[in-house]
Amino acid sequence: MKLNLKKMGRNAKLGLLACLLGLIAAFAGNPYKGTRVTIDATDLAGIVQREVDHINPVDLADWIVKGQSDYRLIDLRSKAEYDQYHIPSAESVPLAGLPDYGLGRSEKIVLYSEGGIHSAQAWFLLKAMDYKSVYMLRGGLDDWKDLVLFPVLPQNANSEQLAAFTRMKEISKFFGGTPRAEAKVKTDDAVLPLPKLQVPGTSPAPVTTPKKKKEGC
Amino acid sequence: MSAPLFKFGLFGDNISLVLAFLIGIGFGFALERAGFGSARKLMGQFYLTDLAVFKVMFTAIVTAMLGIFYLGWIGFLDVSLVYLTPTYLLPQIVGGLILGIGFVIGGYCPGTACVAVSTARIDAISFLAGVIAGIFVFGEAFPLLKQFYNATPMGQITLPDLLHIPYGVVVFVIVLVAVGGFAGATWVEKAMAGRKGVQQS
Repeated sequence: MKLNLKKMGRNAKLGLLACLLGLIAAFAGNPYKGTRVTIDATDLAGIVQREVDHINPVDLADWIVKGQSDYRLIDLRSKAEYDQYHIPSAESVPLAGLPDYGLGRSEKIVLYSEGGIHSAQAWFLLKAMDYKSVYMLRGGLDDWKDLVLFPVLPQNANSEQLAAFTRMKEISKFFGGTPRAEAKVKTDDAVLPLPKLQVPGTSPAPVTTPKKKKEGC
Repeated sequence: MSAPLFKFGLFGDNISLVLAFLIGIGFGFALERAGFGSARKLMGQFYLTDLAVFKVMFTAIVTAMLGIFYLGWIGFLDVSLVYLTPTYLLPQIVGGLILGIGFVIGGYCPGTACVAVSTARIDAISFLAGVIAGIFVFGEAFPLLKQFYNATPMGQITLPDLLHIPYGVVVFVIVLVAVGGFAGATWVEKAMAGRKGVQQS
């Protein structure tokens, strides 16, 4: 049978074209491999300088309380440390396993470690792999403890500080923390017990699949 | 719909809503021009007399699939950034069946119902009222349904991952299925038109 292009209708021609492109596709290889990543040093430096790559512990606490699920929270510490305590909804991904963990490059990712160094290194690692939306928890788990779990009411606090502390008290209790007043802090032991892992109102980690997004036809 | 520009914070909630509105208007206009604002046209699908919906869907799938494949292949599009809806097999099958039954009974799917409401079709207005009532009931009953809603999660999987065959081969097979389906649909339409002609004479 001889193909006569002139006699073919428009739909048949388009169908033929689709078949042809499909056939080539079968031998073309992987479309995921077509992406080349180039690091824009100026751009990265700009992000670092403007500090838009940070998430405040208080903001993160707010997201968790509200049940926001449009981000993935990654705990970079060791599994043992993670098992001892982690921020609710965090997933345990030790630094070495990060590139193969299966995070989407379009996902919003929040990294944290004990202080800030590991998360900063991981941030650069992911940025170099062209992850678009990576953030670090400012001050890491240390600041999470100081600002969210065990917030301090300064001595002689003004009304503004008092209002902020009252608000933080609620959030702190949500996460099983202990709000403190300055006078008490001095007499307190330096180490406060970390809350138990089961926090009311939040599901235990790890959550490996992202939450459903509402989309329709 | 306005992802990834919205997701990466290039604009805020308000502008995102305006853009979604504009895109929605454009989409609705195209549907209306294609005749999909008429329940009669849509119902032809189920009586096998007019398979335009089927053809439009398959054409859209093949066009988008080939476009994404080749744009990714030449490096113009980063395919890993394209959002994949996570698969929850069982609830999605049940949801699809419910939507399908509603489609057959009501004559519209939610999108086409909105289009038909814009031309003040009374059947579509009652259909949309039903949709909104359904959303309300679902929302209120959600605590009871939540476990099922999140059942059988399979993550953001694709056919090449699931079947362990190369991406391009899946593309080729889907093109063949679509073109075959297209030809088959045209044949069915002609056969049904012939039968109708016989019945009428």
